[in-house]
Amino acid sequence: MYLKPKDKTGERKVSMGVTCVCQIPVTEGKSVQQTVDLLHKKLEQLGAVKQGSFCVDCETYQSTGNAAGQPSKLLYVMHNSEVPLSCMALFEGGPCLTADTNFDVLMVKLKSHFQNAKGHKVECRGSRYRYCDFLIKVGTVIMSSSARGISVEVEYCPCVVPGDCWNLVREFMQSFLGNNVPELPTVFAAKPEGLFAPADCVDTMTQYLELFNKLRKLQITGSNVR
Amino acid sequence: MEQLMIIISTLPIDLDFVLESALESLLHRLRGLCDNMEPETFTDHELVYLLKGQQGNPFILRARHSLSHPTAPWHLRYLGQPEVGDKSRHALVRNCVDVSASHSLPDFLNEMGFRMDHEFVTSGHIFRKGAMKVLVCNVSRVLVPGNTENTERMSLSYLVELSVLAPAGQDTVSEDMRSFAEQLKPLIQLEKIDPSKQRH
Repeated sequence: MYLKPKDKTGERKVSMGVTCVCQIPVTEGKSVQQTVDLLHKKLEQLGAVKQGSFCVDCETYQSTGNAAGQPSKLLYVMHNSEVPLSCMALFEGGPCLTADTNFDVLMVKLKSHFQNAKGHKVECRGSRYRYCDFLIKVGTVIMSSSARGISVEVEYCPCVVPGDCWNLVREFMQSFLGNNVPELPTVFAAKPEGLFAPADCVDTMTQYLELFNKLRKLQITGSNVR
Repeated sequence: MEQLMIIISTLPIDLDFVLESALESLLHRLRGLCDNMEPETFTDHELVYLLKGQQGNPFILRARHSLSHPTAPWHLRYLGQPEVGDKSRHALVRNCVDVSASHSLPDFLNEMGFRMDHEFVTSGHIFRKGAMKVLVCNVSRVLVPGNTENTERMSLSYLVELSVLAPAGQDTVSEDMRSFAEQLKPLIQLEKIDPSKQRH
């Protein structure tokens, strides 16, 4: 695992490198699983080595205490197997919190104020590949027990500043995604300090959340995904 | 993981003009009785948040962070209502959930709908004996919300609190706590606080 050098307080922090999460469309005439298998093959041809599996999940909670007529706030609680002792809680477009997994126990205590929309649970599971300094995760996004889409996460481990490595990350992604290569994630451009603010786990989870919400909306409008 | 917090506290005792020497005797005795370690002091800022629901009592959460170690994570604690159990039990038992959290905690709690009810700064000494934690501390009022530089001691007294975190279901440690408390007499008299006398 890559370790950042000790910072001013003398603490050594373990952090994620710059990470990009994007959605890959299902190949014409193929199933979700077949498209995932094709991506695995391309990665293996490049020389990437499979290193276990990963899981990112997201639960949705709805606040019960809102005044009549006001839309209920949605609170998302997410977990990432890369950081198994942590839990990330986010309000879309709002503040986010990184906490330990006891936060899930606290949400159970809060059930009369925040209802768990159980039907909205999303899981993204798949294989983890390592290629030199990159970590690549190809996932199948599952909602209500059915596969809704494909995610690809690429992390460039040695660097935490998007502005310093985005071109390199993009070039690497192009080598196995071809035309499906994404644009610079909005989460990096939207920061007050711009592209030179260090990226963290919350940025990764925000990208997953955007992907999950986009897939959920696609399903409602009844388009492409089998 | 849910735990139980088992507490015996003093009602604040007036040390008045024998303040320093009485405190010193207590600290000296605690150093002797407790685990051998470097004396540890702390200065923490605690904010108590309430979430008012459509019915019932408001949900209370306590957010605490260290003023002496500002980069350390925040600590969020939920304490349930005191458990109604064996009245002869010597200590107060409450369900407890502790969460370590990032520095965005206050903003996040506000977004969840929690509102800060009150805040205070507490500083003092911490001792341990096995699983037991002993705190000897004073409490200061924060005069301007959010400004922890400008505080005022609430009284000249010190609060002494003896507590243990035990796995849910195991509250038999209160007997050990009672016998430890006996060893602190007559310097201080530790008692189970009557929950009906407390506001929270």
